[in-house]
Amino acid sequence: MNPTDQKWPRLAAAVRRAPDPRDPAAPYGFATRVAALALAQERAVASLFERFSWRALSVAGLLAAVCLASNYSTLVSAFQNDAVSVDDPVSEIVDIAS
Amino acid sequence: MPEDESFDLVGCLDRVRQRDQSAARDLVEHLYPLVIRIIRAHLPRRVAEEDLAQDIFLKMFTRLEQYQGAVPFPHWVSRIAVTTCIDQLRAQKRRPEFRWADLSENEADVLDAVLTNENDVEAGDALAARELVHKLLAQLKPDDRMVIQLLDLEQKTIAEISGLTGWSQSLVKVRAFRARRKLQKLFKELEQKEHS
Repeated sequence: MNPTDQKWPRLAAAVRRAPDPRDPAAPYGFATRVAALALAQERAVASLFERFSWRALSVAGLLAAVCLASNYSTLVSAFQNDAVSVDDPVSEIVDIAS
Repeated sequence: MPEDESFDLVGCLDRVRQRDQSAARDLVEHLYPLVIRIIRAHLPRRVAEEDLAQDIFLKMFTRLEQYQGAVPFPHWVSRIAVTTCIDQLRAQKRRPEFRWADLSENEADVLDAVLTNENDVEAGDALAARELVHKLLAQLKPDDRMVIQLLDLEQKTIAEISGLTGWSQSLVKVRAFRARRKLQKLFKELEQKEHS
C-alpha cells in the first residue's frame, strides 16, 4: 500500500482509539415500555386469530345450515327414491330370480 | 457481548417464553448496551437511536420462537440489529455531497491532518474524527458502508461479517474493496479541492 492509501487507515485508527462517551445503559423506563409493548403485541396477534377463528366457524356453520335448508326437499326425496328404487339393477335381478 | 456474566440468559429466555413481563424487561436491559453500540456505530447522530433500538427489540421478541440456539443469543440479536441498521441506511437514500464548508473547525483540522499525512490525529480530536468518518461513510452505498464499518472500525473478520449480515465471504470482500476504492477517490477529490 503506498503512502496515499494510508489516509483511511489512519482516520479509522483515530476513531478506534476514541471511546464513545455516551452512556450505553438503557434510558429510564425504556425496558419496561418495550417489554409491555412486546407482550401486548403478542397478545393482540393471538386474540385476533382467536376472534377470526370463532367468526369463521360461525359463518361456516350458518352457510352449512342455509344450504341444508334450501336443499332439504331435494335431499329428502332423493333418499326416499333411493330406498325403493325401481330402476335399481340389484332389485331388478332379485325380482327376476324370484 | 453484554458484560454481565452473572445474568441467567437461559432462565430469562424461558420466563420470557412464558410471557413473564419482568423477565422481558430484564432481557431488554441486559442486551441494551450491545444493541445501542451497534446502532451508534452504524448510524449518524440525527437518527433517533431509541426508536431504532425499540424496533430491534420488538423484532427480537416477535422472532423469539424461531431462535433454535445454534448461535449464542447475543449473536442472534446482533444480527437482527445489524440487518435493521442496514434497512435504515437503505431508507436514507439521500447522500449529500461531501464539502469542506459543511465541516466543523475540528473536523476540518482532522481531515487536514489526514490528508497532509504530517500529523497524527490528536486524541482530543477523536470525537471530531468520529463525526468526520460518519460524514465520509455517508457517501458510500449502505451495504458497502456497513462492511467497511465492521471491518475497519470494529475490526471484525470477514467470517464474522458474513455471519452478521448473511452475505457470502466473497461478497463481503468485494464490498470492502469497493468501499475502500471509493474512499480513496473521495480523499483525492478533497485534496484537490483543498489545493484549489
